[in-house]
Amino acid sequence: MTIIEGLSSGFLQAISLDVLPYLVVGAVFGLIIGVIPGLSGHFAMAMAVTFLYSMEPGAGIAFLLGAHSTVAQGGGLTAILFSTPGTGQNAATLLDGPPMRDRGEVGLAVGAAMASCFLGATFGAIALAALLPVLRDVVLFFGPPEIFVLAFLALTFVAVLGKEDMTRSLIAALMGMLLAMIGLDNVTNTARFTMGSLTLEDGLAMVPVILGLFAVAEMFELWAQGGALAKKMENPLSARDTQRQIFSGILAAFKHSWLVIRCSTIGTVMGLIPGLGSAPAAFVAYGHAKQTSKNKELFGKGNIEGVIGAEAANDAVEGGALASTLAFGIPGSSSMAILLSGLFILGLETGPTMLNNHVDIVFIMIFTIIIGNLVGTLIGMFMVNPLSRATSIRATLMVPVLMVIIVTGAYASERSLFDIGVALVFGVLGYLMKVLNYSRAALLIGFVLGFAVEKNLYLALLLDGPLFFLQPIPLGLSILTLLFLGYNIYIIARDRRRAVK
Amino acid sequence: MRRQFLKGLAAVAAMGLTGLPAMAQDAQQFYAGKAIKWIVPYKPGGGYDEYSRLLAPYMEKYTGARIEIVNVPGAGGMKGANEIFNAPDDGLTVGIINGSAMVTNQLAEIKGARYKVADYNFLGRVAADVRVLVTSPNNGFGSLEDIMSSDSPIVLGATGLGGSTYVDAVIIGDVFKLKQKVVHGFNSSSDVRQALLRGDIHGMWGSLGSALSGAANGDHRIILQSGRGEIPGVGNVPSLFDYIEKAENKELAAEIMTAWDALNAVGRPVAAPPGIPEDRVAFLRDAFQKSMNDPDFLAKANSAERELSFADGATMATVAAQATQMSPEVEKLMIAAIRGEL
Repeated sequence: MTIIEGLSSGFLQAISLDVLPYLVVGAVFGLIIGVIPGLSGHFAMAMAVTFLYSMEPGAGIAFLLGAHSTVAQGGGLTAILFSTPGTGQNAATLLDGPPMRDRGEVGLAVGAAMASCFLGATFGAIALAALLPVLRDVVLFFGPPEIFVLAFLALTFVAVLGKEDMTRSLIAALMGMLLAMIGLDNVTNTARFTMGSLTLEDGLAMVPVILGLFAVAEMFELWAQGGALAKKMENPLSARDTQRQIFSGILAAFKHSWLVIRCSTIGTVMGLIPGLGSAPAAFVAYGHAKQTSKNKELFGKGNIEGVIGAEAANDAVEGGALASTLAFGIPGSSSMAILLSGLFILGLETGPTMLNNHVDIVFIMIFTIIIGNLVGTLIGMFMVNPLSRATSIRATLMVPVLMVIIVTGAYASERSLFDIGVALVFGVLGYLMKVLNYSRAALLIGFVLGFAVEKNLYLALLLDGPLFFLQPIPLGLSILTLLFLGYNIYIIARDRRRAVK
Repeated sequence: MRRQFLKGLAAVAAMGLTGLPAMAQDAQQFYAGKAIKWIVPYKPGGGYDEYSRLLAPYMEKYTGARIEIVNVPGAGGMKGANEIFNAPDDGLTVGIINGSAMVTNQLAEIKGARYKVADYNFLGRVAADVRVLVTSPNNGFGSLEDIMSSDSPIVLGATGLGGSTYVDAVIIGDVFKLKQKVVHGFNSSSDVRQALLRGDIHGMWGSLGSALSGAANGDHRIILQSGRGEIPGVGNVPSLFDYIEKAENKELAAEIMTAWDALNAVGRPVAAPPGIPEDRVAFLRDAFQKSMNDPDFLAKANSAERELSFADGATMATVAAQATQMSPEVEKLMIAAIRGEL
């Protein structure tokens, strides 16, 4: 089957009555899972997989992947409306989404987020399709030396994020890296910072850490301040105003299409790299948006570009993440492991068998991502109005309800009571960080990437010796990293000099 | 709820008519309409989860109870194994465990192993472990002879220190005095496979299940196996047992290999905590046996490319007990391998 035949057959199947209803149901299901804090795409798929046994391959794939692809959209919705990231990948949306809500621009932020999600997902899916002929080479491009340098490059984005207060940002980022060291190191079999606790040997899970740092901290703040979530609003927006705002938000995403494309590229590339995941992708894209923006100082205070960049990247990850699963049957994340299980259940083979004989299935996946996100966007828009009413409810009523949901989410992702404790401890930490003006984003980047940096550095040293970064590709990437870092240091020094004058 | 109760009632009535022994009838009555918690000690996705989800509907069919699959990941499968072992002994908690890893953890007295493998009530075994050595098709390591005669060492990838990909590599390397370098520290066996494809490493030890599709499409080749005989879809792969002659100390080699074989035979059993009333154990064992032999289940497992190797509960109890018994010399070697001291 040629790629063109696969494309047309995949498209026709995806919109056929045998598949489309399942796709829509999956997309709605994913959206709902995404709205619930703590429940991620991995959870949505784990639930969806149970239904696969009686399904046809096309319908099953559309259902499974549909559920996975809209989770980030639902998560973005709650991030903006309730300052509670639905999933880890929406944490970056919290930097600029809620401040927009406080200004009474809920509709604008959600519209922009939804449209960016759709555009980002579409970009990622198209990139995957375009890479199909060379997919295997692309996946094998990334080995430990390359991943180490790339993760390090991503880590340097802390410099951009915390430009205003570099010392505090570096403290936060290094603390994040230290937190990533907690657990049993599988290189030396040494327990680090576990204080004898068996549970801590597995390390801190990402979901409760993110929920704590951002959502729980937000609840503490709201509780301390009183009032309602939408702070500066006297009255809730009327349905009509919200609707109008949503449309201008969508328009804004299209107006910033160049930003969307660049951030989607970041998302897709980071999706290709096994073990990085989508949370750092959104932060790196956010950093990029901030660096290239004309209004840098407005970031963190409700700049729509921040929302667009983060949301475009976290959905573009999808296309990239599928690559290694499709090309070799090697899952790059826990979600992809479930997808692979699902494919086996449906009797489908991945790897060359699929790329050569079942390209149509690959295109069903690609169209599922696109159509699923379209469905998610449309339904998400209708959800804004009723949900945004809730943001005007006063804190004494809202905080307990949201706390229950957040705590449940922290527990549900791994069914661990310990994780509730983690979320609460990090809630206190997050609140203190917010009050004392330390960057929580920097901490999270350090936390997520610290692990990848350490592991891949060790492997690169073992496999290629101490001079591993002198191989052509890692060398090129290293030079890029140094240039980037040098440029940023220069800019910071220049700004400081100007400020002194 | 009501429907399930009626279903249970109908089942009980039907069974009553066929005149089962009173004991089994009691157990049947006990389970009808109840919920059995089925623990999977790993995250969703992957073999243990898949086997469990495949099996659950048939266990429901033959027990009359509802099966609730609960993923309890952590500590390399030990958290879930602990939870099963220390669950109430009412027979409403069962689970699948990584048998060989749990045996070796117990032997090496790894901290946090709050179970005794031999004391579980085994319902039976879903699959035995077949371990295989996988290499890239064109890197010159096509057989054990190639590795033995090669001038430069073979580089093998592994996950954590003490994980099965690591333990297998160092034990076999030790038995046959192979020139090898084991690079461990990969995050998952998926990452090891990717490194193999990139040519960063020459080979890896892993489970047959995860090597099958790569071998079928030519990305990998399987050059050695812990089992014997033909591998479906791949063909004839030499068994390590045929090579014992080549080891320096044949007697010790044979002993180590037997111990390794016994470990692999524990495989993936379904276990329940100790102390459950005997009639319930018998009932669950019977339901497990029926599920594993249900033609519908067999067809599904086959289409999902999941190898099955059923053993009943009583056999499993012996297999597990045997695996924990090895000569002091072999035990020392195994423990050294698990602790990363070999």
